[in-house]
Amino acid sequence: MRILVVEDEKKVAKALRDGLEAERYEVRVASTGEEGFFLVNHESFDLVVLDLMLPRHSGIEVLTTLRKRGLETPVLILTAKDTIDDRVHGLDSGADDYLVKPFAFPELLARVRALLRRGRPDQVLKLEEGDLAMDLVTRKVVRAGETLELTVKEFEMLEYLMRHAGRVVSREMLARDVWHVTARATPLDNVIDVTIARLRRKVDDPFETKLLHTVRGVGFALRSERSEPG
Amino acid sequence: MRFVAPSVRARLTLWHAGVLALVVCVFSAGVLLIVRARLYRELDQQIGHDLAAIEKVYREEAGDLGKLALRMGSTRFEVAEGETVLYRTPGWPPSGTTSVRTGTLADASHRVTAARDETALRETLWTLAVIFAMGVPCAVGLAIGGGYFLAGRVLAPVGAIAEAARKITAESLTARLPVQNPRDEFGRLASVMNDTLARLHEAFEELRRFTADASHELRTPLTAMRSVGEVALARSPNEKAYREAIGSMLEEVDRLTRLVENLLTLTRADSGRVPLVREVVDLGGLAASVSESLRVLAEEKEQILEVATAAHVDADCDPAILRQGLVNLLHNAIKYTPTGGAIRVVVRAAPSGGAAIEVTDTGPGIPAMHRDRIFDRFYRIDSGRSRDTGGVGLGLSIARWAVEANGGRIELESEEGKGSTFRIVLSQVP
Repeated sequence: MRILVVEDEKKVAKALRDGLEAERYEVRVASTGEEGFFLVNHESFDLVVLDLMLPRHSGIEVLTTLRKRGLETPVLILTAKDTIDDRVHGLDSGADDYLVKPFAFPELLARVRALLRRGRPDQVLKLEEGDLAMDLVTRKVVRAGETLELTVKEFEMLEYLMRHAGRVVSREMLARDVWHVTARATPLDNVIDVTIARLRRKVDDPFETKLLHTVRGVGFALRSERSEPG
Repeated sequence: MRFVAPSVRARLTLWHAGVLALVVCVFSAGVLLIVRARLYRELDQQIGHDLAAIEKVYREEAGDLGKLALRMGSTRFEVAEGETVLYRTPGWPPSGTTSVRTGTLADASHRVTAARDETALRETLWTLAVIFAMGVPCAVGLAIGGGYFLAGRVLAPVGAIAEAARKITAESLTARLPVQNPRDEFGRLASVMNDTLARLHEAFEELRRFTADASHELRTPLTAMRSVGEVALARSPNEKAYREAIGSMLEEVDRLTRLVENLLTLTRADSGRVPLVREVVDLGGLAASVSESLRVLAEEKEQILEVATAAHVDADCDPAILRQGLVNLLHNAIKYTPTGGAIRVVVRAAPSGGAAIEVTDTGPGIPAMHRDRIFDRFYRIDSGRSRDTGGVGLGLSIARWAVEANGGRIELESEEGKGSTFRIVLSQVP
């Protein structure tokens, strides 16, 4: 999978490249709109990560020209402005998704995965991780043969974690996708932490192997192997 | 090109003088006309007397007309019967350089015509006209001079106000404009401008305080990140310690991010750029949903969280923004109420006729001295304690904005040691 990153801020560009390469994507970085435009026209990419505030040409300009040329590569825009207008403007110009800076890296990875997966059906009825199994139809959660009683929110949270099993999930992602709260100024972090603690009591406490891990400063991860997060 | 007088003073003077000139001209013309009419009437009366006397002499003793002519002096006359002239004073008919006025008395048999010299009358009128012609410019000149002087005196406060206002900058907003007479127009103007300055000064002060507080709040996580990073680099030999350090730094980044988000929310609110999507909102439903999402926090502290809807109350507001306000209030209540306390959310029709959501807690209460400032940005009752409980001191500011943006207000009742009630009052949908 080839990803083009158009970002003028060198540190952010390097972090994006390293982070995406660690996930085994092939990454090209362009530091200006022109360069990005050139690369998109001469090479083929599966995804473009586009910063909106670029020197000389704005990301929106690049995006509009790109779409006019009939290129349908999915585009994920990064923006430091998060008013509704900016988002709508970006999506109207042909972007497939957006992320507001500063973003959590796990969230970027989740969006990238979602965009690359797009078009393929995602009809999962059962989720499994180690000895933990979740039936999405009967909404039953079983670990090592024991049925776990979860509240609605705990179930939704566990489902989200299992869908992103093996990867880190940030609090922002949980707030938006599980609690459906978009206003980032809303204090939900405590609620998330408490819910995680309760989930852990039910899912992990009675068992030897721990599945729910806290990645300090980043978020949470559900994984069955013992290795430290990498 | 239109002529534009350079100053109010000049314009005032010109108007003043123009109007005066017009009035004086009209007056002079009127006087001239009246005097002229009067003088001519008198002359005509004299001629009438003359004619009567001539008529009388003609009827009684026609031969004495010559004597009469001598007696009458300057009046010249002619008496004729048909085409034949009976008597004519020397120099008849009057002609040449002297202007005269004539009168005629006639019947079928005879005709008497008399003429009097009107040179004196014309001279009188002429003298009067000359006096006016010279007096009017003098009067107008005086009016211009006096008007200019007076306008200058009257407008002097404006100059003083302008001069004082020119010296006022953002740094000297405490200065005030001179008010010479608070009851006159300029005094009122200066007072109004002073009030504006006072408000401006207050706004600047608030901004200054806000900036200072904000930079302090921003500096705290930055300091933490810096020291954690530096210490880790200087002495941590193993990966686990590095991991710890990076995690700790990321936590500070989180805090910083949240702070910036909050500041952005408030900045956007200040500039009025948050569009409201108004709809009819069932406040009971909103209160229940907010309470449900925060219930885990209350349960964690073994608090009782109750929602009571006294009546079905609808309000016209933006549900997302109002929700944010209510979340902040309830979050605060849970945070500051000790373990085992109780929090009650009540939805009811407000006594004042609106809709109300009350959040009542059994927390420590808010001392009276803090109640006015509790909604101020970054204001904390106890700065030492608040940092550990999280938050940056913007929650209530945002809550107040969220409610006020929806046309409502937040009321606070509190009793120290017993608890507080925050009441959101909105206008109800009829």
